[in-house]
Amino acid sequence: MLPSGRRVDRVTALFVSLLAVSFIIATFDVRADGQGAGAALRDGAQVLFTPVQKGIDYVTRPIVGFVDGIADVAGLRDENERLQQRVQELQAQLNESEAMERRVQELEAINGLEPPQEIPTVTAQIYAAGASAFDQIRYVNKGSADGVIEGQAVIDEDGLVGRVDLVTEHNARVRLITDPLVSVGVRVQDTNETGIVSGQGSGPLRLSMFRASETVPAGALVMTDGSRFPPGIVVGAVTESADIEVNFALRTSVDPAVRISQLDFVKVVVGWSPLDADVEAPDGPLEPPPIIDQGFIP
Amino acid sequence: MRARPVVIALGLVILAVVLQTTIFAPGRIQPFGAAPNLVLLVVIGCARYLDPEPSLLVGFTGGLLVDLLSSSPLGLWAMVLTAVTFVALKVRSRAADGPFIIAVGVFALTLLGQVLFVFVGTLFGQKTIEDPQVVRKLVLPAIYNVILAAPVLWAIRAALRPSQRIWAQ
Repeated sequence: MLPSGRRVDRVTALFVSLLAVSFIIATFDVRADGQGAGAALRDGAQVLFTPVQKGIDYVTRPIVGFVDGIADVAGLRDENERLQQRVQELQAQLNESEAMERRVQELEAINGLEPPQEIPTVTAQIYAAGASAFDQIRYVNKGSADGVIEGQAVIDEDGLVGRVDLVTEHNARVRLITDPLVSVGVRVQDTNETGIVSGQGSGPLRLSMFRASETVPAGALVMTDGSRFPPGIVVGAVTESADIEVNFALRTSVDPAVRISQLDFVKVVVGWSPLDADVEAPDGPLEPPPIIDQGFIP
Repeated sequence: MRARPVVIALGLVILAVVLQTTIFAPGRIQPFGAAPNLVLLVVIGCARYLDPEPSLLVGFTGGLLVDLLSSSPLGLWAMVLTAVTFVALKVRSRAADGPFIIAVGVFALTLLGQVLFVFVGTLFGQKTIEDPQVVRKLVLPAIYNVILAAPVLWAIRAALRPSQRIWAQ
């Protein structure tokens, strides 16, 4: 049955009005840069949805895990080979790290330096993700009541996961390092040179260096440089070696250390924040802890 | 405008949003790295069984809910789901032609919604088009939505028009 002309007009008018309202809301939200009424609405929605999301996550987690396990059977062989290769790489890194640690301890003793303190973390569990396939966010069950504030780093046993970008009393939203709007200041372990890693939505991260003087080899570990996140957190490994381009620029890709699709428990680094850094060191960015700052790593 | 079907439709959209962010979240059920776009499917289903104006309002509200629980600016998904609802309203009379046409329609509308989001997301600085797996994220949800279409549309019809047969207009 075809609608009447008058009916079509009303429907079209409503459609155009709703599109205009959406456009205006989006424009205001972009201009507010995640603050203002949009942020308040997001907080409210999160508070309302969290109990339901947690309930459904709790009930369905075992079933979903079973189904997901069956779906993953085909990829287990590749996964096994990848893990064996990873174990070998980690063993080599461990040997190297132990030698380096001994050397650092000797140098600390010689220079009378205190070793860096363990940075406090809060363990949190992911209970939900973004509502769209293009979202690179996760929701965790720890919030301001646990000491979580915006900007803090989120890590797991493999390395940097992302940063906290929205906090309610008992929950927080984490923006992953794969988000195109997240950039991380990094240091390449092999060359000790700094650069910026940014996400691309999925897949490998993009490493950009602007004052490179050495070739970056494939497999080189990339770690946070302490400018925004605590220094020394593994971000990933360079996937292909890259030579310096004109103007000492260098671009390559980095395989994230964390397995984004399999995140479950994470740690929020509550004892270190760029906001704290601003309070304690108003004249400049926070100095990294002594191990990195003193340049003892050869 | 009868209020009861609209309230039920909004409830279905809320349920879809919750399931999308939990069961179909990364690390849960995501075959080949993608999940169905359940909210889009429910909005398409509501557009099939509700009157035009309530359908548009349900699409818009569902989009706003998705926006509130995602990292994109508020209004982007509202814009996309409103547009998809409008197109669904224009073609819904063809659904009486049978299940194959419905499957094609669900695929095309889901793909349209995803492509629109990539387009407006890029316009609003979200860099969605730079995603190396953008094609996969566009196509797989459309395929999954076709697979889920029969049970989801059946459930929507049962909730909104309990006295009608499933393929009836």
